[in-house]
Amino acid sequence: MKEKKRPQFRRMDDAVKLDNCMAAGDIEEFIQQNRQLAERIDAYRSLSETEKHWKCRREFILRNLSDYQDPQLDTLLALSMVWANNVFLGCRYSQELLDKVREMADGIVVEDAPVFKTRDEIIKQQQRR
Amino acid sequence: MGVPAFFRWLSRKYCSIIVHCMEEKAKECNGVRIPVDTSKPNPNEVEFDNLYLDMNGIIHPCTHPEDKPAPKNEDEMMVAIFEYIDRLFNIVRPRRVLYMAIDGVAPRAKMNQQRSRRFRASKEGVELQEEKQKIREEIFQRGGYLPNEEIKERFDSNCITPGTEFMDNLAKCLRYYVADRLSNDPGWRNLTVVLSDASAPGEGEHKIMDYIRRQRAQPNHDPNTHHCLCGADADLIMLGLATHEPNFTIIREEFKPNKPRPCALCGQMGHELKDCQGVAREKKGEFDQFADSPPVSEQEFIFIRLSVLREYLEKELTMASLPFPFNFERSVDDWVFMCFFVGNDFLPHLPSLEIREGAIDRLVGIYKDVVHRTGGYLTENGFVNLERVEMIMQAVGVAEDNIFKKRKEDDEAFKRRMKEKKKRLKAEQAPAFLPTGQFAPEALGRRGAPQPIHNARHTAFEMRMQGQDQRNKDAAQSLKALMRNGNQALAGSSVGMDPRGQKRKAEDSDSEPEPEDNVRLWEDGWKQRYYKTKFDVDVGDDAFRRKVVKSYVEGLCWVLRYYYQGCASWKWYFPFHYAPFASDFKDLKDMFTDFETGTQPFKPLEQLMSVFPAASGNFLPQTWRALMTDPDSSIIDFYPEDFAIDLNGKKYAWQGVALLPFVDERRLRAALEEVYPDLTPEERKRNSLGSDVMFVGRSHPLCDFLIELYRAESKEGSEIPPELCHGVQGTLNLDEEPILPDKPVVSPVPVLRDIMQNSAIGIKFKDPQYNEGYVFKAVILPGAKIPSKVLKPGDWENSNRGPWKPQLGFNPNRQQAHLDRSAFRALSHSISRQQHRDGPYSNAPPPGSYHQGQHRPRPHGGHIPSYPNSRQYDAYRGPHASYNPPQPYARLQYSNPGWNRAVQGQAAAYQQNQQRAHIAQPTYQQPQQRPHQQPQRHEGQMGGQGPPQGYLSGRHYPLPPPSGRYNWN
Repeated sequence: MKEKKRPQFRRMDDAVKLDNCMAAGDIEEFIQQNRQLAERIDAYRSLSETEKHWKCRREFILRNLSDYQDPQLDTLLALSMVWANNVFLGCRYSQELLDKVREMADGIVVEDAPVFKTRDEIIKQQQRR
Repeated sequence: MGVPAFFRWLSRKYCSIIVHCMEEKAKECNGVRIPVDTSKPNPNEVEFDNLYLDMNGIIHPCTHPEDKPAPKNEDEMMVAIFEYIDRLFNIVRPRRVLYMAIDGVAPRAKMNQQRSRRFRASKEGVELQEEKQKIREEIFQRGGYLPNEEIKERFDSNCITPGTEFMDNLAKCLRYYVADRLSNDPGWRNLTVVLSDASAPGEGEHKIMDYIRRQRAQPNHDPNTHHCLCGADADLIMLGLATHEPNFTIIREEFKPNKPRPCALCGQMGHELKDCQGVAREKKGEFDQFADSPPVSEQEFIFIRLSVLREYLEKELTMASLPFPFNFERSVDDWVFMCFFVGNDFLPHLPSLEIREGAIDRLVGIYKDVVHRTGGYLTENGFVNLERVEMIMQAVGVAEDNIFKKRKEDDEAFKRRMKEKKKRLKAEQAPAFLPTGQFAPEALGRRGAPQPIHNARHTAFEMRMQGQDQRNKDAAQSLKALMRNGNQALAGSSVGMDPRGQKRKAEDSDSEPEPEDNVRLWEDGWKQRYYKTKFDVDVGDDAFRRKVVKSYVEGLCWVLRYYYQGCASWKWYFPFHYAPFASDFKDLKDMFTDFETGTQPFKPLEQLMSVFPAASGNFLPQTWRALMTDPDSSIIDFYPEDFAIDLNGKKYAWQGVALLPFVDERRLRAALEEVYPDLTPEERKRNSLGSDVMFVGRSHPLCDFLIELYRAESKEGSEIPPELCHGVQGTLNLDEEPILPDKPVVSPVPVLRDIMQNSAIGIKFKDPQYNEGYVFKAVILPGAKIPSKVLKPGDWENSNRGPWKPQLGFNPNRQQAHLDRSAFRALSHSISRQQHRDGPYSNAPPPGSYHQGQHRPRPHGGHIPSYPNSRQYDAYRGPHASYNPPQPYARLQYSNPGWNRAVQGQAAAYQQNQQRAHIAQPTYQQPQQRPHQQPQRHEGQMGGQGPPQGYLSGRHYPLPPPSGRYNWN
């Protein structure tokens, strides 16, 4: 994680306008200052999520929170899972959806993301033999 | 249990648990099929009371069979299912209860497995279709011929999931089937039938277990009921043991590896899809009369006798000098528990425990070692003592490192052997002999006419001499090579020493590339790499590791409870794709307290939403389906189009771990809330939880009682009077659309006729209820008689009781079939003279050895195990061959330890026995001097009447006894 100057957040509106060029350190800062919101979001952490995965997904959620207020919150959670499943579990979704979540995740730094082979790739490989 | 290896291991180790089924086939006379009368005594010489069918094991092979062409439409599938049940019924012939259970909505714990199966099945189906299409086009381009593609939709086996229309139809069809058989089949006359269809929640086998558990906990249960459970899953064996019923038998299809399958394109046998040439079908038989008969034998069935398995386990588990009294029943429960470590449907197995590597033996060894220190058993009535489990796990953990190293070594050795074998086979493929000189083969169409042969004799002589020379050289060379390779194997290096190194390389390249393995469990630091690769966490992350262990421990508790007490929580599931290591199981004591109570199962359509991929969405209502594909859906993340597979050291995609995301129940329910109003009334009905239905025929004592209930239109549930139904209890509620006597039942299958003269009656049935917190005791019930021993007692040799005679079937006093003099005369009359004495299978000993006194003359002829008919030839040798030699056949010993033979040692003996039975008329003869050791259980049983004379002729049977049960011993 890089060292950099941290913008200060006072209000919720500031927070949700997180700039795309911001990095994880700023999120930490933001969470420090918005305890309540952070706790609410923490409730969406799933049992099997590791610290690393959750940090990234939380950032995804926080970055896009402003576009998905309450009734849409589940949609945001779904999109965050689409992204996390794609990055950490190797799932592939439709191109449209993947493009969308990648755009939403722009700027989130994932350190040494795991590499996967999807089922289709394995089958293709085995057929070639 | 999704562990096919478990059954293989079990049947190899405890081979006497298997008994082959005797099946009476329907006869045909002048083109009229005469059905088998199943009210006659069971040809297996045993009588079963209850038959339980785990229907999913029947539905799958009947709807998409692997060894024959698929049925064309749903109606054909239904008929196939009916025929399959008929076949089983004919073999087992239950006398009291037939319980049919179709999988209903499963607990959440099972859902991950179901999900991964359905996601894979959907993809496999599409791939097969694509490949078919591709090859089809290729064949047509080459001018080949293929039968027209039938206008049928691809059968998506995913529709065998509760909540689909298909399952609803199936339930209707089965009701019709039951009504028909109860009305028309004499074998069903006194039977109580319970049908638990897909609308009743719970997996099929567990609904069956629940039924048994709840029956045996009530006072009217007959503790000597003989249960027979049908299904191929290995966990049925565990479930059967968990009931602690002394008479429990499992019936399943005999597994025969490498059965030929018809080509998916042209339907012919003998080649696979990818080799299909599109050539016309060959005539089968002179007039194509065998066209419809598959070239393979029909699937046969075997019994697995759990009473015999219990004998084996007793021998194995009994421990002397324990600090507490030894209780066999408790140790069986512990054994069942330990088998869960090795694999079950709800948890991934521990990485260090592979059934093929003798994991269960290892566990049993550790168990017997540790139990001295634990101060008691690991489990009680399905509840786990975690402190004691920890001791076992720690003992496994100590060995973990060595297990992984050993695994790698074995793996390498296996690969080396396979390579050698491949090489050997390749070498054998070349022609053994090529003529040389003027006889040398020449390509056609060369210049000039073929030369005339000169001096052929001499050339032939030269070739012969040369060949001999060559053979000697070859032998020498292969011997050298063998020695060289042997050395290499020892030295562990294979570089540079082989003069044929070049060729070796070529061979290496066509062997399949290794799947890459980043974990390398056999190298130091394996634990770290495992957690990093599989969970993406550092090994230092203790909190996470404990979370995995805690979930796993919960899982073990849940599974055991599920087997012994029923589903403890519908919600619980193991939220990871991999298991922790045995050595991580530390401080378990306070890891688990209890499960959340009062959890409810999913509704059928909800379950469909959580196990189906988007590609199977056609089984769901329009708006529900949209949730699986719409990018703005709030549950879109459950439905990836493609997913990663971790081969986890395996070779094929289907063996690997499918990394599918888990379903978030809260979000699923929230999303469905909005589409619930879109359901049609019919769908709403399909989505509701249903009830089991009980059927009886008119001659059943319970029938009048039920008719009265309908007449009185009683709204409340009524208890079954136990005396009317062999002690079965439960609550009855009127069915809304009941099947009633004299009310015609409309056939849901067009090819089958309506039942105009129905005499069956159906009513809703509910298992006996117990208070919350009631604990079902895992004990043998008082009054239960343990069946007589089958295995050879350990002290038999010291007892001077003569040679041991193994028991081959259910009946310890099975009558050996034999030929009398007239039969021998008849046989020798129709057998040709040459074969009689000097045939190739004559077992006259070689003269030399006889005179040297090394051949011990055998009174009834020797026998050649490799030739199955030897028995008959012996027999034909003349009437003087007295024919009641039980020992030589029964004591067949194979020196070859290969599994097929070892397991089937008994089976082979049995087959000979069967052959003899074919020579003579199959008789249901009972032993003449039958000891009256079995006290009678029922009035009206045939027990004390001596051998029923009628059986001897094999023709006139007495009527079945009132209780419907015959007595075999």
